[in-house]
Parts: sequence; structure tokens; C-alpha cells
Amino acid sequence: MGSSTFTIAGRLMNQLIRDRRTLGLIIIVPLVVMSLIGLSFPDEGILDYIAPAMLAALALFFSFLLTGISFLRERSQGTMERLMASPVSRLDVVFGYLFGFFFFALAQTLIIVLFTIYVFDINFMGEIWQILVFQILVITGSVTLGIFTSTFARNEFQMVQFIPLIILPQMFLSGVLWPVEQMPDYLQWMSAAMPLTYAIDGLRDIMLYGKGLLDVGFELAVLAGFTVVTSVLAALTLRRGAAG
Amino acid sequence: MAQNITNGVAVKADKVSFHFKKLRAIDELSLVVPAGISFGLLGPNGAGKTTLIRLITGLLKPKSGGIDVLGQPPSRKNARLIGYMPQLHSLYAELSVMQNVSFFAKIYGLKNSKQRQQRVEEVTKLVNLWGRRNDSVMNLSGGMKQRASLACAIVHNPPLLLLDEPTVGLDPELRVTFWDYFTSLTQEGTTLIISSHTMDDAAHCDRLGFMRQGKVIAQGTPTELKEATGQPEASLEEAFLHFIHREEGSDG
Repeated sequence: MGSSTFTIAGRLMNQLIRDRRTLGLIIIVPLVVMSLIGLSFPDEGILDYIAPAMLAALALFFSFLLTGISFLRERSQGTMERLMASPVSRLDVVFGYLFGFFFFALAQTLIIVLFTIYVFDINFMGEIWQILVFQILVITGSVTLGIFTSTFARNEFQMVQFIPLIILPQMFLSGVLWPVEQMPDYLQWMSAAMPLTYAIDGLRDIMLYGKGLLDVGFELAVLAGFTVVTSVLAALTLRRGAAG
Repeated sequence: MAQNITNGVAVKADKVSFHFKKLRAIDELSLVVPAGISFGLLGPNGAGKTTLIRLITGLLKPKSGGIDVLGQPPSRKNARLIGYMPQLHSLYAELSVMQNVSFFAKIYGLKNSKQRQQRVEEVTKLVNLWGRRNDSVMNLSGGMKQRASLACAIVHNPPLLLLDEPTVGLDPELRVTFWDYFTSLTQEGTTLIISSHTMDDAAHCDRLGFMRQGKVIAQGTPTELKEATGQPEASLEEAFLHFIHREEGSDG
């Protein structure tokens, strides 16, 4: 990781800043989605239970989609070929993307967290900074997952197909809507293999039970491990020879 | 400098082969490109021109044979010696012309901010886009995008410039401007490898390699190639067809 990492990150940030409509949608869409969810669960108890899960699930969904499509565009427009012919390393590209999207994803998360806590007035016990630290790992894993997945798609249509394949099963099986313990054994095993399960467990512990980051160390470790694995896989699939 | 390192050879390919699954794109191709000249890779679509350029950049690895670029095999370490203008415009559409050129300047190691700024300004003026320097690339015409893409390829002043179909889609006036600039680059010692399928481009090159089905079927100066037909007044098009017919005769 060198200065090229930050050059790539800076370029991505410039691209998003100049694309005002996308920038606006990055902020507005999660608010609309959270509003719909909040209004559909008027029972405060249910909303308290669902809110931490939605924070994690939305961070996963938006970061994955934004990175995946953006990375795919880089390949379809030929700029990835140009980058791969330059002196930058594969890790420069992966980490450049990670840092470039990180601030937008984090800002998005902060808006969702504050909106959920203060507008819907959910019962909330933990510290906001702890939620954000936890979400950083969720975002990081989602960005690298998006990069890795996009190498298997040739166009935007194919990339969108990965949403029902990778995101939706996690939404259903990770305990967003109902407890994992109530699922059949084989679904619980599948759930245990999904990063969103650990993200939701950790956030619920922090937000519903007021636990600290040390108490959710296991979940943090699993998410960190997932990030390392997807980063390595993303860098490996980004061969110079596979730029086109 | 490149000439000293490489004894006057910019690119040397020795029996290089490359295939995409079952399609043999480059077939035991051998080629020598002297330094400091413009070398045209001429051939129909599918002849293997782009694949050969990608092999020279290091984007693709030969399945057999070897390539030396400025005295060493292509790698990330010597990528700084190469300027590459792909067939697609390959620019960041949302960014301005200056932001695109500046990005590639940084990526190619122009670290000093003041010098980088000066160089970015210089090449943006050179490709005649100074008046549109702050416009998003997406709002430029095809020819302007082509010029911006060229600026990104030359911003780090590489000794070897690979241009994949650089004149496609350009109007005649702009084509002349491009060739004037290419000529000035070779006069300064830069080696240019230019792929094209038009004989108009071929006439501007110092040396040519006629390509067909992944092979270089003939190489030499435009005059040498015309003379090889036995009719010195022959056009380059006729020379190209002559070598194709000769190749077909030897094939079958």
C-alpha cells in the first residue's frame, strides 16, 4: 500500500463529489428506507429489535452495491485496463477503493444511526461511537466483498443478480426479522457462515443490552477475519492479465 | 536514454504466442521495433494488434516465447517507461479533463506538486483542451475524449508510447494534428507503436508491421514494403494485399 492508494481514494471521492445526483441519493435513499421500516413497525418493541439489524443490513447492502457497480464500471469503461498497465499494485487498487468509499459509507451510516435513534426514538442503551466503530468493520467487509464479487460480473445486469444471491439470503437468515434460534438446524448452520449474522448480534448487544466493544470481541474478530479474506480474494482476482 | 539501455531496440518479441481458450490470437510472432521511431501495426480487425499491444504493456503474459520492452520483460516495475492509450477512451467520465490527466500523472509517479501541475497544464494545452480543462469528460465530443486520453498517456513523458487505434473517429483536421504531434515525439526520441487498420495512418509511420491472423507477415519501411511487391509505384494497400496473397499461397 503506497501513495497510489490515496491517489485512487482521492479520485473516487472526487468522482462522487462531482456526481451530485448520486451523492444526494446516497444520503436520501437510506433515510427513505429507514422511514418506511420505522413507519411499518409502530410497535416500539419490535422496532427496537429490528433497528440494529437494519443498520447492519443497510450498511452491507449499500456499500456492497456502490462498490460493486463502481468497480464494474471501471472495468467496462476501460479505466481498469489503464490502471493495471500502470505501476499501481493490486493492493493499491483494493485499498484505494476501500478508503475512497469508506467516508461516504461511514457518513451514510452516521445519518442512518442518528435518524433511527432520534427520529424514531428507539430505546437505545449503548454508545453511538461504539456503534460506529462496529459499523466500520461491516462497511469494510462489504466494500471488499463488492470488489471481489464484481470480478465475476461482466456487466451491470449480472452484478445486480448478485444481490438476490449474496445479500438477500443474509437478510433472511441472519436474524433481521426473526431469531436465528427459531430456524431449522441446517438454516442455522448457513446463518453461522454469514457475516451479517455477527454484525447483527454485535450491534444488538451494544444497542439493546448496552454491552461494550470488548463484550462483542468475538463478533468483531469474525468480521475482521471476513474483511481480511475478502480483501485478499479481491486483490487475487484483480490480475494484471484480467484487466479487460 | 532508452536507446543507450537497449542498444537501439525498444521492443523485441521472440516467437511469442498467446491464445484465448481455443482462439490463437498471437502465433509465434517475432518482431523488432527500433527505438525512436514510429512503428505502425497494420492489419484487419482480429489480426491480433490489440493483443500484441496488451502483451507489450504486460497486461497479458505470453503463453510461450518472450518479450523485452526497453531491455527487460514487461512488469509493474518498468510500467513507468510505457505510456498506454487503449482503444476505448478509458477516462473517468465524471471528472474534468484536468482531474483525469492529473490522476494519471500522480499514478505514474510525478510526485512534485508544482512540476506535476506544470506538466498537466502543458499536455492539456498540447492536445488543445485548455479551454475545456474544467469540463467533465462526459460532456466532451468523441474527438475531445480521444485527445484527453492521449494527454493521460503522455503526461509522464514515457520513452515508449503504445497507441491502440488512436485516430479512430477523428476528423481529418484532428488526424493531421495528431500525426504532427506523433512526429514531434519521435524527433525527441520517443518510440511510438501505433495500431491501425487504415493505410492513411500507415503512410505516416517510419516502419510498418503487416499483421494477419496473429502473425507479422511483413515488416519494413513503407518504401521497402512497396518495393517488395515488384512495383515501386504500388500503394501501401496494394503492398498489404500482395503480402496477404503471398501468405495465403504459402499456407495452402
